[in-house]
Formats: sequence, C-alpha cells, structure tokens
Amino acid sequence: MTEFFIRRTLQSVLVLFLITLVTFGLIHAAPGGPFQIMLSPGLTPEALQMQAHNMGLDRPLPIQYFSWLGDLLQGDLGYTFKNHVAIGDILWPTIKNTFILMGVAWLLTLIIAIPWGIYNSTKEYSLSDQTASFISYIGFAMPTFWFGIILQQIFSIKLDWLPLADMYSMDKEGQVGNLLLHLILPVTVLTLGFLAAYVKYSRASMLEILDQDYVRTARAKGVREGKVIYKHALRNALIPVITIVALDLPLLVAGAALTESVFNWPGMGRLFVQMAVAREYSVLMAITLLTSVIVILGNLLADLLYAVVDPRVQLGKKGGKSA
Amino acid sequence: MSEANMQTSAVISPVEVQAAKPLERPPGPWRTAWSKFRRNPYAMTGLVVLLVFIVSGLAAPWLTKYDPAKIDLLYANLKAGTDAHLLGTDEMGRDIFARLLYSARVSLLVGFAVAAGSVVIGTLVGSFSGYFGGFIDTCFMRLVDVMNSIPLLFLNILVLAIFGTEFSYMIIVLILTSWMSVARLVRGTFLQLREMQYVEAARAIGVSNFGIIFRHLLRNASFPIIVNATLMVGAAILSESALSFLGLGIQAPQTSWGLMLSNAQEFMLVDPLQAVYPGVCILLVVLAVNFIGDGIQDSLNPRQKMSERRIDRWRKSFLKSKI
Repeated sequence: MTEFFIRRTLQSVLVLFLITLVTFGLIHAAPGGPFQIMLSPGLTPEALQMQAHNMGLDRPLPIQYFSWLGDLLQGDLGYTFKNHVAIGDILWPTIKNTFILMGVAWLLTLIIAIPWGIYNSTKEYSLSDQTASFISYIGFAMPTFWFGIILQQIFSIKLDWLPLADMYSMDKEGQVGNLLLHLILPVTVLTLGFLAAYVKYSRASMLEILDQDYVRTARAKGVREGKVIYKHALRNALIPVITIVALDLPLLVAGAALTESVFNWPGMGRLFVQMAVAREYSVLMAITLLTSVIVILGNLLADLLYAVVDPRVQLGKKGGKSA
Repeated sequence: MSEANMQTSAVISPVEVQAAKPLERPPGPWRTAWSKFRRNPYAMTGLVVLLVFIVSGLAAPWLTKYDPAKIDLLYANLKAGTDAHLLGTDEMGRDIFARLLYSARVSLLVGFAVAAGSVVIGTLVGSFSGYFGGFIDTCFMRLVDVMNSIPLLFLNILVLAIFGTEFSYMIIVLILTSWMSVARLVRGTFLQLREMQYVEAARAIGVSNFGIIFRHLLRNASFPIIVNATLMVGAAILSESALSFLGLGIQAPQTSWGLMLSNAQEFMLVDPLQAVYPGVCILLVVLAVNFIGDGIQDSLNPRQKMSERRIDRWRKSFLKSKI
C-alpha cells in the first residue's frame, strides 16, 4: 500500500513535469514567438530588443523554462501581458466562483442520481428506469450549452422569471438570495449533464452486485428484500460510484468553460476562454497547469479511495489502474 | 478466429456434409453482425437519420438556391417562409436553411475526419505499445497519462489560440486529443493475444513483426475499434460545435451549427427560433451516431450493457465538449 502510494506519487510528479514541458513548448511554438504581443508596437528594432532583453525573453529557451518553473514552485504564476496584473489576483476569485457553481450542481447530482439509480436497479424497465434511460440518451447527445441557451430563452426572456446571466444583479452584489436565483439555470444545465451518467452508473453497479452469489444466499435465507438491498448490496455497489465521484472532484475547480460562457458566470472556465481570445498566453499556461495538478490529485485520490473502501483491492500487486 | 473454426469443422465432417447437401458457407462475423444490426429499430433509425444528413449536406447546392455566406442587410431577420426563405434569415440576411445545410457538411466532415485520424494514430500507438511492450510501451502510456491529465477542452482552446483558428488545425487538434481511447483498446487486445499460439506459429514461419501486427492481431480488435470510432464521430461533432460556439472554431464566412448558435445567442431577443434549429440538428446527428454505435456494440456482444468503458468514454466527451 505504502509502496504503491509512493510509486503512484512519483508517477504523478513525472506526468506533471511532462505537462509543464508540453505547455511551455506549445506556447513557444506560437508563430512569431509567444511574447510578440507583449512588446509595444511601433518601436525601432533596437528598442524592441532592449525591451525583450529587459523581460528576459532573449535568453535561451531552457533557461527561460527553468526560471518559469522556479517561479511556479514559489507560487508565482507570473503577470498578464497587457496590464501587467499578477495572474494570481485574477485567478483566485474565479476559482471561488466556479467552486460555488460546480459544487451546487455536483451535490444536487449526487443527491438525485445515486438513490434514483439504485431504485431503478430494483425496478428494471419500469417507467422510472425508462425515463432515466431517455434522459441519459438525450444528455449524452445534446450540446449542453445549447440547452442553456434554450433555458435562457424560456425562463428569462419569455417568462421573465429568472435572471438571464451573471452571478449577481447590478445592485445586489453579495446577496445570497440573489446568488441563488442566478444559480438556478446554470445548475440545471450542469446537473442534467452529470445526471445522465451518474444514474446509469449507479444502476449498472448495483445490478452487478444484485447478481452475486451472496445476495442470492441472503435472499434464500429469507432476509427481507429491503434489507438485502440496503444492507448487503448497497455498500458494495457504492464502491465504483465513489471512485467515479472522486475522479470528478477536480471539476469543482477546473470548471465549466461552456456553461460559464453561456451564463456569463465569472468563473475560471470563462476566464480561460476570454484569455484565449485575448491571447494572454501566460494566463492560459497558468490555468492549464493548475487544472492539470488538480486532475492528477483527483486521480490519485480516486485510486487511494478505491483501496481504502474496498479491502479486496490489492493495488500494489496489480501495479495500479493507470498503467 | 472464426475463420479458423470454420476450417476445422470443414475438415472433420466433409463426408456427412456432402451426403446431405452441398456445404453452405456459414455467414461470416460481418454478416452475422449486420443481420442483428438490421433488426435493431434504434440503430436502423439512427442509420437513416445519419444518411439523411449526409445526403442533404452533399446535395446542399441543389436543395437551396441561397448562398449561406451571402450577407444582405435589406433582407435581415425575415420570418420563416417569406420570399422562399424556408426558415427565414438571420440578423445579416443570410438564409438560415442554407446555413443549416452547409453546416451539416462541416460537422460531418469534422466528425468522420477526427474519427478516422484518431483510429489511425490510436491503432499505431496501441499496437506498437501492446506488441513490443517494454520501453516503447512505457513511453506511450506515460504520453496517454499526460493527455488524460490535461483538461482537453482547455488544451484544444490553447492550441487554437496559439496557432490560429484554421479549419485544418481544428481537425488536427481534435485528432491529437482523441486517439487515446483507441490506443488503450488496441493495446489491451494485443496484450491478451500476443502470447497466443497462432502468433507464435506465424513468427515461427517467418512472418515479420509488421505482418503479425497488421495481418494477424489487428483484425481481432477491429470490431471494438469500429464501435469506438462511431461514438467518436458524435463526440467530435459536439467538440466542434463547442469550439465554434466559443469563437475558436469555424469562423465566418464559413458556417457551422456551433457558430450559428453563438450568433443566435447574441440575437436572442430578435428571433428565439434561430437558436433552436442548429441545436436540434446537432442533437439529432449525435443521437443517430450514438444509436448506430450502440447497435453495432449490441450486435457484436448483446450481453454487455452499459459497460464501464462506455461510461468512461462518455465522461471524456463530457469534459471535452459539454461542460
């Protein structure tokens, strides 16, 4: 277990190192160099060179890379090109906003999806099960941002019940009630997206367990059906569900670029899109790295959680799931 | 494999068979699959819908007399049906029906090109990785780890922001971020099969590594690859529409459903129906492709239901194009 954890952590560090290389390489592969945009236009070539020199852009790439990496390790994400704002200052508030949006959607999904999936596994092909199937087929095929636009048209424009976009109304900054009103539409969109998979997943996982010998034994002994399901089967059925929940944890921070863009939610996903259009490469680099770190941590957590909740799993021997 | 079975059975009982009636060649795996597929109403509906979209995309110049890119502000925002504009015109006077038709070309082209490209790259990586093992395998699998740890929507946006939003760049970047599932699948099959006796026999009679990979091993993975590729078409169409919606994909004067949706959101107050058509088109095409993929899967392996792999694939597409 300890050995597995150490190896898995080392692997994660390696992957992370490779990601910094990929991101840095991509940015520097930009035509005309990444920092072209940073330099003031209309300067003489000598002055341009001066400016580049002052910013350290004329150093060899490996040196630039390691100095960037060193800054990162000290928590310095760098500055934006245009107004020279510290990236951390614009990044952290957006993470908080994304966390609010995704957290609510995610919790709501878990509360609805897991009980629903389990109920459906005991009533296969019932109306409720068919409905879940229908939702998941539509949810798999529908562009979620389109669903958002349609909801905006119905509930904000036609009926005028809910705010169209943004996080707060103009004069109600910071009021919880106002925030909740603004949350309804984006959360509905995200929840429907998540729901499609989670209901199916918990149902499939439960069905697999209900097929096991020990469940049949329990039934044969005359254990009540309710007890069979909620005491014997449920615990084991939840193991894979917990794993996938842990795998999705990074989303809480990494955000929802499309939903946030549709609803003008000031989160990290929308920031990424805006910065991409503005070609603020240093912000893009910072966000890509940050989200990658979170995803890697989430994967690590999922593996560990899997071993902790399911004592049958012997991770050390299998060499991990990711290989 | 089934060919080998057929041959042995033919060797064992030639006498009886000749006595009864001329030996009829049993249907091959492709035909068996097709006859099952044909009886699946969902899959057949999907096939018909997809064909309708393909045909209407190809025949677009004959189905409408309007140029999808022609801007004519005198005829902006016409209601559906006026002046032979079947679905009306948008805010710049472009015929909406014509734009829908020409967008079908773009989306289907992206879908099939990305699926084909990912199959080629994924198959090469997966087969070398699984067949040779060792160092090559480790390198490729770390690469897969890296790709799976970077949020792929962000990566797509990043690359398009750096290199520009050319149509070909979008296809390339979508291929480069979707080959991983095929690679894993092929690698898994190869790991299972490379120690089989018939592979050893082939090697003994001097078949080259290349011949073993492409003639003997790869065909065992062909069915799962096809299922995977089908579902990838839908995922790629969703990704394209998402990128175009965000302004980093298809650019005017070209047209795409995602781009139409982004226009429609801007002019939501003028004509709410404009947002409905492109979304319905995306939904229908992706639903059709998914039904076909599921149909193929069922016809090959009817007992396997919503497998973990399918959920996994769905999660990836969710992160990439829907959230």
